[in-house]
Amino acid sequence: MVTPPVKTARKRIPAWLVFSLLTIVLWGVWGALTKVISADIDAYMNQVLFAIGVVPVMAIVLLSGRLSGGISRKRGIFYAFITGVLGGTGNIAFFMAFSEGGKASVVVPATSVSPLVTVIQGYFLLKESASGCQKAGLLLAMAAIYLLSL
Amino acid sequence: MHIPLWLVFAMVALVFWGITGITQKLSTNAISTGLSFLWFGVAMIALALVVLPKVSLDWHLAPKDFWLAVIGGTLNSLGAYTSFAALEKGGKASIVIPLCYLYPLLTIILAITLLHESLTRPQMAGIVLALVAAILLSQEVPSQTDKAL
Repeated sequence: MVTPPVKTARKRIPAWLVFSLLTIVLWGVWGALTKVISADIDAYMNQVLFAIGVVPVMAIVLLSGRLSGGISRKRGIFYAFITGVLGGTGNIAFFMAFSEGGKASVVVPATSVSPLVTVIQGYFLLKESASGCQKAGLLLAMAAIYLLSL
Repeated sequence: MHIPLWLVFAMVALVFWGITGITQKLSTNAISTGLSFLWFGVAMIALALVVLPKVSLDWHLAPKDFWLAVIGGTLNSLGAYTSFAALEKGGKASIVIPLCYLYPLLTIILAITLLHESLTRPQMAGIVLALVAAILLSQEVPSQTDKAL
C-alpha cells in the first residue's frame, strides 16, 4: 500500500491579508474608543491629542526609510499636506457627531461611505468614469444615510 | 424634516474624508506612500497647533481620557499604515480596500456589546446598506491595461 504524502508545511496566511485584518481591528476599535472619550473630551482637544498619537507612527515610517521615489516631490507633498488638513478637519466633525449624541454603531457606518464623495469628485474633477458597482454603491449609500438618520 | 445635529457633523466628516480620497491619490501618484504619510502627519500636527490657541482647552483631563485620546490617534494612523502595507505586500487593491472598509462591523459589535447601544430597525437596515455601499464604492474602475490582462 502506498500512503499518500502528508503535507507537513502549514499553509501560510498571506501578509497582505494579515495587514488588511489588522486595519479592520485598528479602525474598528478606534470608532468605539472615540465614542467613549467623546463624552469627556472636547472635539478640538480630541484632535490635538489625536495628532500626538500620530507621532509614533510617523517615527515608524521615518525609520522604515522608504521615503524616496516618485515623480514630483513638491506636488506630492502639497497634496499629502492638504490630505492631512482635510482629514483632521473631518476628524473634528466626527468627534462632534459623537458629542452631539451620535451612536458609534450609527455614526461609524454612516461616515464609512465617504468614498461616495471621492467617486463623485473623481467623476466631475478628474473625469474618471464610475463603474456599475460604484453607481450602485452611490444609490445604496444615500439610502443608507437616510435610514441611519431614522 | 428634522435632521439631528450629530448627522450634520457626520456628513461634514464624510465630505472632508471623501475629498481626502482624491488628494491622497494625487499625492501617492507623485511620491512614495511613506513620504505621503509623513507629510499627512505634519499637517495633522499643524492643524492641532492652529486649533490649540483658538479653543478653551481643558488641561484638567483625567489621565485615562488623555491617553485614550492619544491612543485613538495611534490606532487610526497605524490603521492607515497597515492598509498601505497590505497593498505593498501584494494585496490587490480591489480586495484589500473593500476588505478594510468592513471596519464598521467591528465598531458595531463593540458598541452593542460593550457600550450597550441599541438600534432601530431602519438603522439596522441602514448599516447593512452602508456596509454594502462602502464595499461597492471602494471598487476601483479597472484601467485599460488591467482590462487587457
